[in-house]
Amino acid sequence: MPVLKPRMLAAVVCFAGTLASAGTVQAADDAAKAAGIANEICAGCHGVDGNSVAPTFPRLAGQQKVYLLRELKDFKSGKHVDEVMNPIASRLSDEDMVNLAAFYAAQKSTPGIVTNPALLPLGKALYMNGNAKSDIPACSSCHEEDGSGGGKFPRVAGQHVEYTLNELRLYATGKRTNGARVMQAVAERMSEEETRAVAEYMASMP
Amino acid sequence: MKHTLLALCLSTLIAQPAVAEFHNQPHAAGIETYGYQWNTPDQDMNRALAHPADAKKGEAAYKICKGCHKADGSGLADADYPQLAGQHASVIIKQIMDIRAGRRDNPRMYPFSGDWIVSAEEIADIAAYLNALPTPGSNGKGNGYNLAHGKALYEKDCATCHGKSGEGDAGKFIPMVAGQHFIYLKRETRESRDQGRRNASPEMVKALKSYTDADVEAVSDYMARLSVAGKR
Ligand code: HEC
Ligand code: HEC
Ligand code: HEC
Ligand code: HEC
Repeated sequence: MPVLKPRMLAAVVCFAGTLASAGTVQAADDAAKAAGIANEICAGCHGVDGNSVAPTFPRLAGQQKVYLLRELKDFKSGKHVDEVMNPIASRLSDEDMVNLAAFYAAQKSTPGIVTNPALLPLGKALYMNGNAKSDIPACSSCHEEDGSGGGKFPRVAGQHVEYTLNELRLYATGKRTNGARVMQAVAERMSEEETRAVAEYMASMP
Repeated sequence: MKHTLLALCLSTLIAQPAVAEFHNQPHAAGIETYGYQWNTPDQDMNRALAHPADAKKGEAAYKICKGCHKADGSGLADADYPQLAGQHASVIIKQIMDIRAGRRDNPRMYPFSGDWIVSAEEIADIAAYLNALPTPGSNGKGNGYNLAHGKALYEKDCATCHGKSGEGDAGKFIPMVAGQHFIYLKRETRESRDQGRRNASPEMVKALKSYTDADVEAVSDYMARLSVAGKR
């Protein structure tokens, strides 16, 4: 699976989706059904238990339920534009999404992977205190000191460096606009070095 | 179904949204505009003022603010982040609503105070929470060289509105200035004089008309050193 580039993969999934006669995944009404869908459709990219291996696919294990559901809905409606996730989410029912969100939120996350430990001190400083010189508020104020997100905000602890970098760049360039506008302001105020450093620090959080 | 899915696939593979500067602050008429009236009715503000505020909920909602204004509401002197601990709830509500509407310029804070992240009711809750926090006396002060001059100016021109101890007036939306950071007070006083703070009180601007920068500095240092009984 990881050999396919996301864009190619999206095309394949799209194609398969348009050919499939039913088009919708059957409504699931319990966690077991969600686990079935997760295994069948999502595991190839996000891992069986939501701890994805490839660094471009976000880890979903232990992610906040509210946030997971919102993302799935936004992918389905097209509010969050993403060539890979849009066609996948478009085949999920409302019930599937509720169940999948609960499923991934309940999975245990495994430790993340730091790719450049030298950046950790700068990343930690920014995460905990922000940077008043450029009006970057402390990430910990919203995402919590432990990176858990505290219910209202997404969990960032243990996330892949490459995925986080990609998202922060999407925010900074105004290409990810489905959620609250705060992250666009945060990301565009960050320097390249700060962005890399904070991504490393988030990956290091248990 | 097939068609919609195909269309969706195509559109998602091709379309890229334009870079939207959607978190830029709007601009509304202020003191620089002929016929300006201070504190005109504002729907959003009335909603917040009418809300039965809950300080406990406010503590949770304050998360999005504390990355700059700090957990204890003390702000940060060097960065010009004002202290909010102990400030009147009405003042906090009015200032945020002015920033949301573009009557007070604050592009640095605007993305973190819009209705996409905090509702009018949550602002009321936050304001109640902050109002009940003790004001730390550790605020930034000036050099202390001209305090007697500052006191004389304050008592002559400012105390009628801001109160002898700098306590302000919640009912009249007049800020507490006691114990606020010196740098912030100096900036706001100067900006009010020069009509840069566009939501300022015209009567206060009149009072400041003849103030030199040295006067502003002296009166700001004096205000920073004031304290209100029962607030600490
Ligand atoms: C072909 C690979 C692939 C498959 C299959 C896939 N995803 Fe994704 N998923 C991605 C990618 C890539 C992203 C990151 C999109 C972005 O950059 O915003 C993502 C993002 C997400 C997110 C947002 C995560 C976050 O932290 O914001 C959720 C939730 C999600 N996927 C759920 C699912 C579910 C549920 C399934 C199965 C029904 C699924 N995905 C199947 C690749 C995939
Ligand atoms: C004022 C609150 C707030 C602050 C401060 C904040 N964030 Fe966020 N963050 C959010 C919200 C809300 C979202 C969800 C936005 C969305 O849905 O697009 C988010 C999303 C994210 C995401 C995407 C998560 C995912 O799984 O796709 C990353 C990465 C992130 N933030 C990093 C940071 C970093 C790094 C900082 C500090 C430099 C920071 N945030 C500061 C509120 C905040
Ligand atoms: C990015 C940093 C940042 C964040 C986050 C932030 N503020 Fe501010 N805030 C500022 C700055 C800077 C000023 C002063 C701007 C000026 O000089 O006019 C300010 C001013 C204020 C004022 C005016 C104070 C006065 O005495 O007139 C209030 C009230 C306020 N903020 C409340 C909040 C609340 C409530 C939140 C959260 C919903 C918040 N702020 C989030 C930076 C921030
Ligand atoms: C007529 C009443 C009045 C007088 C006199 C007055 N003020 Fe004010 N002052 C106000 C009001 C009302 C505000 C809030 C304006 C607004 O809504 O933004 C204010 C705001 C301020 C602020 C900003 C506080 C903050 O938290 O942002 C400072 C500083 C200040 N005044 C200093 C002074 C000084 C110094 C004097 C004397 C030279 C003075 N004021 C005289 C009514 C007055």
